[in-house]
Amino acid sequence: MRRTRLGRRQFTFVASAAAATLAAPAIAQGEPIKVGTIFPQSGPAGPNGQAVANAVKIAAEMINAKGGVLGRRLVVVSKDDESTPAVGVTRANEMVAEKVAVVIEGWNSPVTLAMQPVLARADVLDITAVSKADPILAGQANPYAIRLNSSNGQDGAVIAEILLGKLNARRIGFLTQNDAYGNGAQAVIEAELGRLGKPWEKVVVEQFPFKQTDFRVSLANVKQAKPDAVVAINAAESSGMPALIQQYRQAGIDGVFVGAVGTILPTVFKIAGEATTGIVSADIYFSDLPPFDKIKENIEFVEAFRRAHSEAPDKGAALGAAALEVWASAANAAKSLDRKTVAQAIRGKSVPGTVLGDVAFEANGQARHKHTIFKVVDGKTAKIEVMK
Amino acid sequence: MTRLATPLALLLAALAYFVPAAAGGTPVVYAACTTIAILAVMAYGADLILSYLGEVSLGHTIFWAAGGYAAAMLSVGPGWNGWMTAGASVAIALVLACVLGWVTLRTREFVFSLVTYAAAVVAMEVAFNWSFLGGSDGIVGVPPLQLTVLGRGITGSTNAELWPVAWGLLMLTLLFIQRFRQSRLGTSALMVQMNPDLAQALGVDARSVRFLVFVASAPISALAGWLYAYQRAYVGPDMFESYFLVLMLTAIVIVGRRLLLGPLIGTALIIVQQTFFSIGGDGDKIVLGAVLAVILLLWPKGLIGLWELMRVRRAS
Repeated sequence: MRRTRLGRRQFTFVASAAAATLAAPAIAQGEPIKVGTIFPQSGPAGPNGQAVANAVKIAAEMINAKGGVLGRRLVVVSKDDESTPAVGVTRANEMVAEKVAVVIEGWNSPVTLAMQPVLARADVLDITAVSKADPILAGQANPYAIRLNSSNGQDGAVIAEILLGKLNARRIGFLTQNDAYGNGAQAVIEAELGRLGKPWEKVVVEQFPFKQTDFRVSLANVKQAKPDAVVAINAAESSGMPALIQQYRQAGIDGVFVGAVGTILPTVFKIAGEATTGIVSADIYFSDLPPFDKIKENIEFVEAFRRAHSEAPDKGAALGAAALEVWASAANAAKSLDRKTVAQAIRGKSVPGTVLGDVAFEANGQARHKHTIFKVVDGKTAKIEVMK
Repeated sequence: MTRLATPLALLLAALAYFVPAAAGGTPVVYAACTTIAILAVMAYGADLILSYLGEVSLGHTIFWAAGGYAAAMLSVGPGWNGWMTAGASVAIALVLACVLGWVTLRTREFVFSLVTYAAAVVAMEVAFNWSFLGGSDGIVGVPPLQLTVLGRGITGSTNAELWPVAWGLLMLTLLFIQRFRQSRLGTSALMVQMNPDLAQALGVDARSVRFLVFVASAPISALAGWLYAYQRAYVGPDMFESYFLVLMLTAIVIVGRRLLLGPLIGTALIIVQQTFFSIGGDGDKIVLGAVLAVILLLWPKGLIGLWELMRVRRAS
């Protein structure tokens, strides 16, 4: 029998590998856990959806580096819903077949509404990152719904405050995306405006489909109505919204352009540039503003995102990352991957350790947020000023 | 051989029942097969118009959506069972088809397509804005399909459970189309399309033939929409979207018109590519558009044109 002896080089290698294993206490082991993302990766919302899916991958790497979930590595499976409900349903079925532990989904509300029953019937936990329609949390399709983005209700109060509190607008117009998200948002803003008790008048409403990019006819009607402020509700932040802003400026409308909460994203600045100067809006996340610039997880996440994609993460990206972190944190705390158990550890609870800091959830699964109102002072450099 | 073609086609379609089990029986395979059966039935509605009247209906999404909305509203609201919602879907589609058929009675070709398209746009706007139909939110929480067949209860909460129903609907549709082709109405429709002068000389009333074929086609697409509502458990205005319109027209044209299995094979090719060989949303659309353009440019009759060309070459 031949005896093998370790040479010096081999010994050094084995010793250093052993030392590395001992020195790294949190390397995730065991069979990996699959987590799914379903966002638009093509079409008008493609670039936005890609940012969210990329952010979930980065969050998964961060979680893996800290020991994974229940000591197991996370592997992300990404699929494209093409902003089309029928395609979203197909992708949701594929996720069920992949046996993912959780699906993080949702840029367009109709797609989320179509996917919810498929995932719920298959007992797969479903966390909505961005889609805003109210029925998502109504519980009919998914009794364990969870949503990271702010709700239309929360946003409506902030926009109403901008219109009547900050801008003192009386004549108000709406440019509204004609779907579950857009119409819901407008209805809530109107309700909140009524609640503030100040006089105001709805002078014009123009509706358009999600994929529209030519708004000139609608904007001619808006101009004629002479509004003090116009609320633009358009979730196509890579195409429709920047086009709307540019055409709004070209039409020479005097009223202040108020972007619905969370719609003035980096893609809007990138495409519409100078035309965004003067826009007033509000959002729930800014990668480099307080309180996020002090949150350890956010600093790490922003660095990793910049390294991978040469730009700062936007709100959508942060929500995607936070969604995975919320799930991971809750699964670790509950020591379970079971849909109901993990959902119960999130709904109505506060979950620590995310890029958004500690995230508190309402009993219906809606995350609570603090909004920051801002004005764009230089569209070219995307410089914004916080409005106190 | 030609005499055997129809029974052979029906036998093939009947054997398709075993495809999901033979292909592994996974949930994705059942979902794909059920979706193919449903969307193929949707396409057969439009096929009746395109193949036998020679017109392009851009309004069949109305009947497809009407079936879906009827199933969703009546199962969520009054809690009707599957047979009752199916009956309502057919009834509503017949009423809508009578109205649209009457309106388009005097129109031909481009104007017919334009009017049917305009009707679909109007219907979509109504669905988007009328809260009675769920508005832009649509209708959520459609319960699983409940049917009683020969004293046995069928529940369709998964695609595997829905598959026999989808396959049964597909077979019924194929038998209906086959009967239609042999019927007086079917032959009259072809005559009106191919040789209107002869049809007139033989005393065929072209208008009533066109009207009847149009009305007969609507319940087919509506029943597809009915089952789709149960499969998806959610119905919204997206059922009017161009995704379904393009799919049904492409499915008919890609293989060839007036072929019993044409729309089924066309739908299967598209859904299998999108499900199992997807190269991303944009890529899929480019592939679909390019394949369609190439087929129509090289073999205007569809893939069957390529088949005939190969047969002629082999014979010579």
